[in-house]
Amino acid sequence: MAAPLLEIDDLRVGIRSNAAAEILRGVSLTIERGETLAVVGESGCGKSLTSLSVMGLLPDGLEKRGGTIRFEGAILPITDNEAMRRIRGRRIGMVFQEPMAALNPVFTIGDQVAEVILEHEAVSRADAMARVVDLLARVGLPDPAQIAREHPHRLSGGQRQRVVIAMALACRPDLLIADEPTTALDVTVQAQIMRLLQELQRDLGIAILLITHNLGLVAQVADRVAVMYAGRKVEEAATAGLFAAPQHPYTRGLLAATPRPGRRRAGEPPLTEIPGVVPSVTELLSGCRFRPRCAFAGDVCASVDPAFGGRVACHFPQTVELVPGVVT
Amino acid sequence: MAATARRIPMRFIGKRLLHAVVTIFGIAIINFFLLQLAPGDAADALAGESGTADPEYLANLRREFGLDRPLLEQLASFLMRIARLDLGYSFRYNEDIAHLIFHRLPATLLLMVTSVVLALGIGILFGVTAARYFNRLPDRLISLVALLLYATPPFWIGLMMILVFSVQLGWTPTGGMRDIAASSKGFAGVLDVARHLALPALTQAFFYLAIYTRLLRAGMLEVLNLEYIRVARAKGISERRISYVHALRNAVLPLVTVVGTNVGGFLGGAVLTETVFSWPGIGRLMFDAMFQRDLNLLLSILVLSSIFVVLANLVVDLLYAVINPTVELR
Repeated sequence: MAAPLLEIDDLRVGIRSNAAAEILRGVSLTIERGETLAVVGESGCGKSLTSLSVMGLLPDGLEKRGGTIRFEGAILPITDNEAMRRIRGRRIGMVFQEPMAALNPVFTIGDQVAEVILEHEAVSRADAMARVVDLLARVGLPDPAQIAREHPHRLSGGQRQRVVIAMALACRPDLLIADEPTTALDVTVQAQIMRLLQELQRDLGIAILLITHNLGLVAQVADRVAVMYAGRKVEEAATAGLFAAPQHPYTRGLLAATPRPGRRRAGEPPLTEIPGVVPSVTELLSGCRFRPRCAFAGDVCASVDPAFGGRVACHFPQTVELVPGVVT
Repeated sequence: MAATARRIPMRFIGKRLLHAVVTIFGIAIINFFLLQLAPGDAADALAGESGTADPEYLANLRREFGLDRPLLEQLASFLMRIARLDLGYSFRYNEDIAHLIFHRLPATLLLMVTSVVLALGIGILFGVTAARYFNRLPDRLISLVALLLYATPPFWIGLMMILVFSVQLGWTPTGGMRDIAASSKGFAGVLDVARHLALPALTQAFFYLAIYTRLLRAGMLEVLNLEYIRVARAKGISERRISYVHALRNAVLPLVTVVGTNVGGFLGGAVLTETVFSWPGIGRLMFDAMFQRDLNLLLSILVLSSIFVVLANLVVDLLYAVINPTVELR
């Protein structure tokens, strides 16, 4: 069997100035060609940091402590910029959360998209520009030739995100990392952007690593879901299975806190919240890091951090199925 | 990346030039009265030098220079002369002022262009390097040098450089613009001027350099943390290109304003440098005119200086629109 497209194994990232503070505490994820993996979790659980590690773009002050990231079987250097540069933008594209801030205000749209192509491929400027216009049309921008000549401040947020997507896909990468691609956009625009991403995925066969906290989005587009909590993956399953029968108490809490039309009529209880807050990375906490907020925690949870066992990292995985419409 | 070609905003320039004329006349009037407040006039200065204070001689001189007429009449004739672009006559130098100034202007312009270009080139290199190596050794060294240059008075740097490079090492002349003995033609002439230019240009450049470095470093640090820089990195762009193309183009905006101010106010700064290095430019002419109470000449130089400031501001505004596409001139 061929190697998976992307394989993250036991990735550990910590704060350079504090040996005890670990933000990613052994994250393992696998993405096959052409599939969509969604990574969900609260703010600060390390999902964005995981994607930045794949790109070799760890922020200053953080360091890799262990683990490997393989792309098509080859180990990525994670921090070595020169080697990563040939992969970034060419083999792996990335779409960020803030389209309003993602484009350089002083260069035209065309120049910014063409720059990726010119950086990675030996093509003439004219050829690159022609491809840019095609790309802008492909991501659904009206009058692409005109837009290529405009500067970013003339475009709306949704249009700019389309430009960023065009930029990420300009060199036909195998993997697209989309870090909260729709969070900053209007709801109607969100749906358009997600539909665009799905279309592009179907047409180009790219794999998508979707980082989000929007479970509604996950249900619509993801093949598999990985749930992260406090720097670890706590549960992973095919989308349908995860939504029907979440096993980790945290996953169940997330689902119980997600609004859905018709929920009341189906006789479900009102939305519940997960009590407490995510522990800080510097907090010393033995055992399972979800324990202080968990209703199912037992004695063993205080001493032993549960290992990930194929589906879930929990001493007391819940097995009662959530028949759609009923919460136990 | 190519900047988009844009039409020249003629309407904007026309409007601004109109404002400029009003501004320049306003400055001229203020200058005129300010200089009247200073005690003594050209006649006093001349009389002081020739050693006579014969009242009749003084009155004669004043009548000859038109200094005995009512103040408002003097002002009116001064303004009329400016309007006709006729700067008048310097009784001290016995020369047409326009001729005098345009004879001295190239030396000052040469000094200005050389020092600003030097300061900009090195300042950009320093500022970008410091920001790229934030809080590491290159940044610390550059910041220290910039602070020292910023804190040291330019005339003192000038004197010290004369001491070291001219007196001790004998590499450069101590002052002037040309060697009397040297050939003034061809390559030898250029070399001769360059040797004379080196110290005054460096002295002037050092001060600007300190400002530009600090300003650019701060600007770069801010821009390098912005989201679009991360996006550029995600595109696989090299760090060098990210710094010098993506970030610099945004961080350079405040620098343009300051360079404009420096160019506009160059005559003021040049007084010291030109005096220390006896550089035959406008600054020294202004200095001499002041002590000799040659008000005609002094006023003319001040008018020229205000034209400099106004033009530099206009150029800065036009440049802004070129560098920053979100600025639209109206």
